[in-house]
Amino acid sequence: MIFISPVILTKEINKVYGTGSVKVEALKKVNLEINKGDYISIIGPSGSGKSTLMNLIGCLDTPTSGKIYIDDIDVSTLKENHLAKIRREKIGFIFQKYNLIPTLNALENVTLVMGFAGVESKIRIERAQELLNKVGLAHRINHKPSEMSGGEQQRVAIARSLANNPSIILGDEPTGNVDTKSGNSIMEILESINKNGNTVIIVTHDPKIAKRAKRMIMIQDGIVSEEHV
Amino acid sequence: MFKDNFNLAFKNIKERLSRSILTLLGIAIGIMAIISLMAIGEGMNVAVTGELSSLSDTILVNVGDGFSIFSMGSMDNNGEYLTERDINDIERIIGIKEVTTQLTSGGLLRYNGDEVAVTLTGIDSETMQVQYSVDGLEEGTLLADNDQNKVVIGSKIAHDYFDNDINVGGRVHINDQKFFVIGVFSEEGMGGLTSTDDIILLTPRDFEKITGESNIYSATVTVYDVNSVETIADEIERAINENHGSDDFASATTMSSILESIQMVLGIIQTVLVAIASIALIVASIGIMNTMLTSVMERTREIGIMKAIGATNKDIMITFILEGMLLSIAGGSIGILLGVLGSRGATAVLGNMGPPGSGSLEPVISLSAVILAVGVSMIVGIFSSLYPARKAAKMSPIEAVRYE
Repeated sequence: MIFISPVILTKEINKVYGTGSVKVEALKKVNLEINKGDYISIIGPSGSGKSTLMNLIGCLDTPTSGKIYIDDIDVSTLKENHLAKIRREKIGFIFQKYNLIPTLNALENVTLVMGFAGVESKIRIERAQELLNKVGLAHRINHKPSEMSGGEQQRVAIARSLANNPSIILGDEPTGNVDTKSGNSIMEILESINKNGNTVIIVTHDPKIAKRAKRMIMIQDGIVSEEHV
Repeated sequence: MFKDNFNLAFKNIKERLSRSILTLLGIAIGIMAIISLMAIGEGMNVAVTGELSSLSDTILVNVGDGFSIFSMGSMDNNGEYLTERDINDIERIIGIKEVTTQLTSGGLLRYNGDEVAVTLTGIDSETMQVQYSVDGLEEGTLLADNDQNKVVIGSKIAHDYFDNDINVGGRVHINDQKFFVIGVFSEEGMGGLTSTDDIILLTPRDFEKITGESNIYSATVTVYDVNSVETIADEIERAINENHGSDDFASATTMSSILESIQMVLGIIQTVLVAIASIALIVASIGIMNTMLTSVMERTREIGIMKAIGATNKDIMITFILEGMLLSIAGGSIGILLGVLGSRGATAVLGNMGPPGSGSLEPVISLSAVILAVGVSMIVGIFSSLYPARKAAKMSPIEAVRYE
C-alpha cells in the first residue's frame, strides 16, 4: 500500500488569545487530517473557534502550540514572508464578503495573485480569462466589483482562488452574503472544483451547506469532533 | 510584479483623484519655487556676466578703495584726485589702448530761482557709455563729445531737489552758466555700480569752462590684451601709489574682479532663496505622508485581502512607496513646468522695473536644476511614503480582512 501524506495535518494545536487573566482558549488540542481531494465542511456556532481554525489552516495565523503541516511543510513556526508564499502557492481563499480589490476589474483581480507568484504577464491573462470563463463570467472581465452582483463577485473570487492552482480551496462562509440561487451555483462550482482533484474546505454555520460536504467537522468551544455523512 | 504594483498604485491615485491632485499640488508649488528661483538667479548671473564680460578689457582707476559690490557707488575720495602725472604714467604702461578720465567738482545748480549745491562730473562720451547705460535713462540721451552747454542729470535732481520737476529740454544754471538738460536718469536707489540719483554729467570741456578745474576723479583704461588686464591693473595701482607716496592712494579695478564679487553675492542670495523655497517642499512632503496614511487607513481591508491571497510585506510596501513616488514625481513635473513659466513671468516683471541693463534678463533653466528637482521630488516621495508603507505592510491579514 502506498502511503499518501495528508494535505493538511494538525497535531495537538492550541490557540490562545490574550495574556494573563484574560486568556481565551479558542482552540484546544485540535487534531485533523485532511487528504488530497477531500471535500470538508467545518461547522459550528459563532465563537466556537471555527474562524480561528480557518485562519490557522489558511496560514493567516500560527498556533500557540502544536504543529500544522501543509503538504508536509511545518507552517506552525514560519515567518510572515514564508506564510505569504504558502498562502499564494497552496491555498485559495474565498471570503464571505468576496474581498475583491475595488479598484481592479475582474480580470485584474484574478491576474493580481498570479503576479504575486511571479507568473509571466501573457500567461496570467490567458489563465485568468480561462478561469473567468469557467465560472461563467466571460462577459464580465472588464467590470469592476462595484458593477457586479454579489453572486458574480463571489464567482470572480472563486476564479481568483484558483489562479495559482492551489491544492487547497478554503471558503469562509462563501454563500453567506448571496441569495439562495447564487449560493447554489457557487456551491456547484466549488463541487466541480473538488471533482477535479482540489481539496475543498468550507467553513459555515449553515447545516444545509455543511451537509453537502463528504466530511463534516463540528467545532464547539474550541473542541473538534467529526461527523461522517 | 513591479508592473502590477505600479498598476495598483496608479489605480489608487486615480480612485482618489481630487485628493491626489491636491497633494501633488503641494509638491508642484515647492518645486516651482525652487526651479524659478534657480532660473532667475542663473539668469541674473548670465546677464551680469554678459554685460560685464564685454568690458573685460576695461580697468577703472579711482582714488580710494575702488569699485566693490559692498560699497555700492559710495566711493570716497577724501577730496583727493588723480593728477595729470598719474594719467601720463598710466599711458606709458605697455599694453594700454586708451585712457579716458572723469572729472568732479562742486558746483551750484539754479532752477526757477532756487539754488542747490551739487557735485559736477565731467566725463567724455566713451567713459560715459562704459559707466552709464542709455537704458538707465528715463528720458533723453547721453552726452556726445561735441555737445556744448548740455547736461544729463540724476532723478533726485530732476524730481526732488526743486519744487518743479526738471524735464528734458529744461533750462538750468550751473555756476551762472546756462545749460540744457538732455537726459534724466531713472531712479536707481540701491544697486548698480554707481548711483546716478545725484549726479550731473557734463562734457570735460564744459566742466573746465565753468569750474576752471580739471580734478580727475577717475580714469577708465582699456587694454589690448584681455589676458593681461590683471597685471596691468596692478602696474597702474603701483605707479599711482608711488606718485603719491601711499600704499592705498588709488585702486585699479578690473571688470572681472567686480564680476566675481557680484557673482558671489548673487550666489549667496540664490542659496538663501532656494533654502526658503525648500521649506515649501518639506511642508508638501508632510502633505504626502498625511495623504498616504489616510490611504493606508482607508485601505486596511484591501491590504488584508492582498496579504491573505499571498502578497508579501514587500509587495505591499512597494505599492505604497510607488504611490507616493508617483504623486511626487507628477507634482515635481508640474512644478518644473510652472517654474519655467513662473520664472519667465517674474523676469518679465523684474526686467521692467529693475536697474538699468536688467531689461535683458532671461531666466536660465539649467539641466542640473531640472535633474535636481526630479531627484528631490522622488526622494520626497520615497521618504514621505516610507512610514505609511511600513505601517501598511505590518498590518495583520486577519484583522485587516475582518476590518469593516
